[in-house]
Amino acid sequence: MTDTQTAAVEAVEAPSTTKRKRSFKWPTPSVAFGAIWLIVLLFFTIFADYLSFIPYPDDKIRVNGKLMSNYKLGPGSLAWFGSDGNGKDIFAQCIYFARNSLQIGLSSTAIGLLIGGTLGVVGGYFRGKVDRVISIFVDCLLAIPALVLAVMVVSRLDDIKESWTFLSWMTRKWQIILTLSILSIAPLARIARAQTLSLREREYVLAARSLGAKNGRIILKEIVPNLIPTMVTVAFTGLGILIAAEGALAFLGLGLDESWGFLIEASRRRLEKAWWATFFPCMMLLGTVMAFNILGDRLARRFDIREASV
Amino acid sequence: MSATTQASTRAGDGPLLVLDDVRTGFKTARGLVRAVDGVSFSLDRGKSIGIVGESGSGKTILSRSIMGLLPERGTVRSGSITFEGRDIARLSRKQMRQVWGKEMAMIFQDPMSSLNPLMKIGQQIAEPLRFHLGMNKTGAMETAEKLLQDVGIPEAHRRLEQHPHELSGGMRQRVMIAIALACGPTLLFADEPTTALDVTVQAQILDLLQEQRKDRNMSLILVTHDLGVVANHTDEIAVMYAGRVVERAPTAALFAHMKMPYTEALMQSIPKLDQPSHTRLTAIGGRPPDLVHPPAGCKFAPRCVYAQDECNREEPPLVQAETPGHYYRCWHPVGSDVWQKVQLKRAEMPAAVAGGN
Repeated sequence: MTDTQTAAVEAVEAPSTTKRKRSFKWPTPSVAFGAIWLIVLLFFTIFADYLSFIPYPDDKIRVNGKLMSNYKLGPGSLAWFGSDGNGKDIFAQCIYFARNSLQIGLSSTAIGLLIGGTLGVVGGYFRGKVDRVISIFVDCLLAIPALVLAVMVVSRLDDIKESWTFLSWMTRKWQIILTLSILSIAPLARIARAQTLSLREREYVLAARSLGAKNGRIILKEIVPNLIPTMVTVAFTGLGILIAAEGALAFLGLGLDESWGFLIEASRRRLEKAWWATFFPCMMLLGTVMAFNILGDRLARRFDIREASV
Repeated sequence: MSATTQASTRAGDGPLLVLDDVRTGFKTARGLVRAVDGVSFSLDRGKSIGIVGESGSGKTILSRSIMGLLPERGTVRSGSITFEGRDIARLSRKQMRQVWGKEMAMIFQDPMSSLNPLMKIGQQIAEPLRFHLGMNKTGAMETAEKLLQDVGIPEAHRRLEQHPHELSGGMRQRVMIAIALACGPTLLFADEPTTALDVTVQAQILDLLQEQRKDRNMSLILVTHDLGVVANHTDEIAVMYAGRVVERAPTAALFAHMKMPYTEALMQSIPKLDQPSHTRLTAIGGRPPDLVHPPAGCKFAPRCVYAQDECNREEPPLVQAETPGHYYRCWHPVGSDVWQKVQLKRAEMPAAVAGGN
C-alpha cells in the first residue's frame, strides 16, 4: 500500500475512528433511586456493627433506662422504625436481616448462573441430542412447584441431617439457598440457551471456526463473553424475584426467623395498633426488589443500545 | 501410503484446487435443496477466480463447501475437492482444523459482525498465530502489528489495543484480511468482501486483496454478485446459476465474448456511466428457480428472453467456446442465429422494457 493510498484511507475513515465522547447524562429519578437504595442498603448492612446509630437487633430498646417490652414505641428519634412486640428496634432488625436476604439472593443467583448458564450454553452450542437431553431436564425443573420443593427441602433436610453428619453444614439458610438455586436454574438455562443459539450463528463465530478454533475456545472466548451482558441483566431482575421469594418463604414459616418476611408475619395481626412493625419491613422488601428491577431494566436498555451500535 | 507420496509429488506443480462434480444439498421438510449441483473447476497456485451469481445461486454455499464450514447436520455432500493433492472433502473436522486458517482462510461479507465485539484487535489477530504457529504472546503481537501495517492500517500499534467498534467498516475489513492472512494460507476465500462497504472503500479493499495475493503467491476465490467487482481483480470468472456453473472463462475472454444469455443479462443490469441519468436499469425478470424441484431443461430458460422449446426440455451440457478455457452451458448462446433473431425482433418493438439492448 502506497503512502498516498494510506492517507486517502485515513481521510475517508478518520471521522468514525475518532473516539466519540459520551456526554454525561443524569440518571432518571427511578434509576437514581434504585442505585442509591442499593448503595445505602449495602453500606448499612456491611458496616452495621460499626455504625453507632444502628442498635444491635437483639437488644430491647431502653427509654430513660427502662427496657421496652412491646409495640409501645412508634417511629421517632429513639427508634427510627419503632419497636416490635418484644420491644426490639425494627430499624436495626431491618438492616441486619438484609444480610440474610442479600446473601441468599446472591448465592442462589450465583449457583443458578453457574449451573443454568453452563447447561444453557452447552445445549445451545452443541444442539442435537445433548440439547434435547438438557432441555428435557430443564423442563422438568420448571415443572417443580416452588412451594412444594421448599416445604420438602426445609422439612426433610433437617431429618436427613441427623442421620448424615456430613450434611451438618446445611443450616436453614443453606436449605433456602439450595431451594432457590434449583428454582433459578431453569429460567437462566433457557435464557442462556436462547442467547447461545443466536450467538453461535454470528459471523465472528464462523470466522473463528474458519481459522481452526476448537469448540472449547469458541465457547469460552467468543460466546461466553458476549453472553455476560444479557446474563447480568437477567440476574439483576432475578435477584429481586429471589429476595421476594425468600421473604415469602419466611412469611410462610419456611424460611429464616431473621428475615423481613418473618417480621411482617410476626406483627401483621397488630396492624391497627402498631402499623410500623409491618409497614417498614414491607417497605424494605418493596424498595429492594424495586431497586433490583429498575437497575435490571436500565441495564437491559443499555446493553441493547450497545449491541445495536457495535 | 502410495497416496501420500503421490500427493507430495503432485503438490508442487499441479493445480492447487480441483473440484470434481461437487454437490451440496440440504435436507428440508420440502425435500432436498440442491444448493450446489455438480460444480467442477480447477484453480492454479497464485491465481484468482471470481464466482459470480445472484442471491441464492449457490456461490456462498460453494465456497463454504470447499472449506467444509457447513453444518454437518442435514447437509448432503458428494464429489471430490482436491486441495494440495489430497481430497479434503473426506477429512474429519479435527483434520480440517489444521487446514483452516493455516492453509485456507476466509473473509466474510459484513466486517461489522465478523469480528468479536468484545476482543481487542491485537488479540483477535494473535489468536490464530498462537494456535497454528505456536508463537508466544509478544511474538504474536509483533507479527500482528506487522500484519496490520501490511493491510494499510495507520497507527498499527495503537490499533492493537482497540476494540472493533472503534474502527470504521473499511478498517474492520482490513483487520479481517489481516486475521485471514496471519498464518499464511495458500488459498483465500473472500465472500462478498465489499458488499457491506462504502463504494469509495470497496476499490481499496479489492486492490489490497489483489496486492496481497501477488505478494504472498496465494490463490483467491472471490465470491460476489457484482460483475464489476471481479472485472479487474480476478484471472478467471465462473458465473453460477441455480447451483451450477453456467459460464466459465478467463476474465478478458468473458467480457469480450460472453456466450451465456444469463451473463449477458447480468452485464446489462449494471448501470453504465454513459447512459443518461434516470435510465431505467434492465432487470432480469422472474426469480431464481426452486432448488427443490428445478426446471427440467436449462435452469435459466424460464427467465431467458431467447429460450426456445428445446431449452425447456433438455439441459445443455458445458461446452467449450472458440477461446481456450472458455466454457458455457447454452443451446443458443450469444451470437447464435436464434439470439440474432430475437435481438432483431426486440429492436423492432420500440418500448421494449425488459431485456435486450
